[in-house]
Amino acid sequence: MNQSENLLKLLPNDIGGLPADRVERIDHLLEPWEKRCHALADVLDFHKIINTEEKRRGVEALGSEMIGKLSYYERWIAVFAIILFQKGVLTPDELARKMDVVAARSAANEPEKVCQ
Amino acid sequence: MPHHDHDHAHPHPPIVNKPDPVPGYYEIMETAVRELLVEKQLLGAGEIRRQIEVLDSRTPALGAKVVARAWVDPDFRARLLADGRAACEEFGISFYDDTRLIVLENTERVHNLIVCTLCSCYPRPVLGLPPDWYKAKPYRARAVKEPRAVLAEFGTTIPDDVEVRVSDSTAMVRYLVLPQRPAGTDGCTEEQLASLVTRDAMIGVITLNPERETVP
Repeated sequence: MNQSENLLKLLPNDIGGLPADRVERIDHLLEPWEKRCHALADVLDFHKIINTEEKRRGVEALGSEMIGKLSYYERWIAVFAIILFQKGVLTPDELARKMDVVAARSAANEPEKVCQ
Repeated sequence: MPHHDHDHAHPHPPIVNKPDPVPGYYEIMETAVRELLVEKQLLGAGEIRRQIEVLDSRTPALGAKVVARAWVDPDFRARLLADGRAACEEFGISFYDDTRLIVLENTERVHNLIVCTLCSCYPRPVLGLPPDWYKAKPYRARAVKEPRAVLAEFGTTIPDDVEVRVSDSTAMVRYLVLPQRPAGTDGCTEEQLASLVTRDAMIGVITLNPERETVP
């Protein structure tokens, strides 16, 4: 099997059976935003806006460089944004504007609206 | 930003948590996406907070109660092995996601191990969220290819005449290992039994070695 066939047969998530390092028993307590991101995933699934398999395929579609460089929940929120753009739920412009508002609010030290 | 530029495929110190008072790019994105969806009335106000409470309520202690019940109640054990989700729901554990649960029983002849090679699927309603190592490349890549070597890295040796079965989870089908009841626990109450059951035993990376447990 040549290298391009390998790329086709093994998408970035499909790592079962590949050689890898020793298992290190790593863990961390989730940051508050990571837990909110997880809860957001569940709620998006409940409302049938984005389901688990769409999210998984979305992560895969990020490609191996982004999968390697973004952390677990960074990948999730990036994929939610991309899928919401694809479905026409959000536009890149409105997300960019909202992120500016949120960043400005944080810089001004206003309390974050965890859940309105 | 915690874990920025990390691929989680390399060793870390065991529990890492860095205080991060300034929200980073992805945290800002999370807040912005959530607020936009609420403004558009696609999500109800408070739904995220309620789901966080649900997530916080799910820990391996729930799975441990299921295991202990299965050890003391053969009829429950039979129902659990027949339909894991229905038996857990009967036991009072709601499934907030749309997943099936298959419970895999360890015996004298078979040791089970669960993994999700594609991502991080895990029996969250009964165990909570998976540990980072479960989601990282070394475990996902190697558990299906060389499970005994992976088990050895957890300090677990399964005798050669015991079959090791690895089950690969999917978005719709999740697994839970029913460990063998440790020897010498005949006098234990159900609650005492539950206290012996650990998360890693229900993933299958360890056994409940009676030599290492203090049995009341």
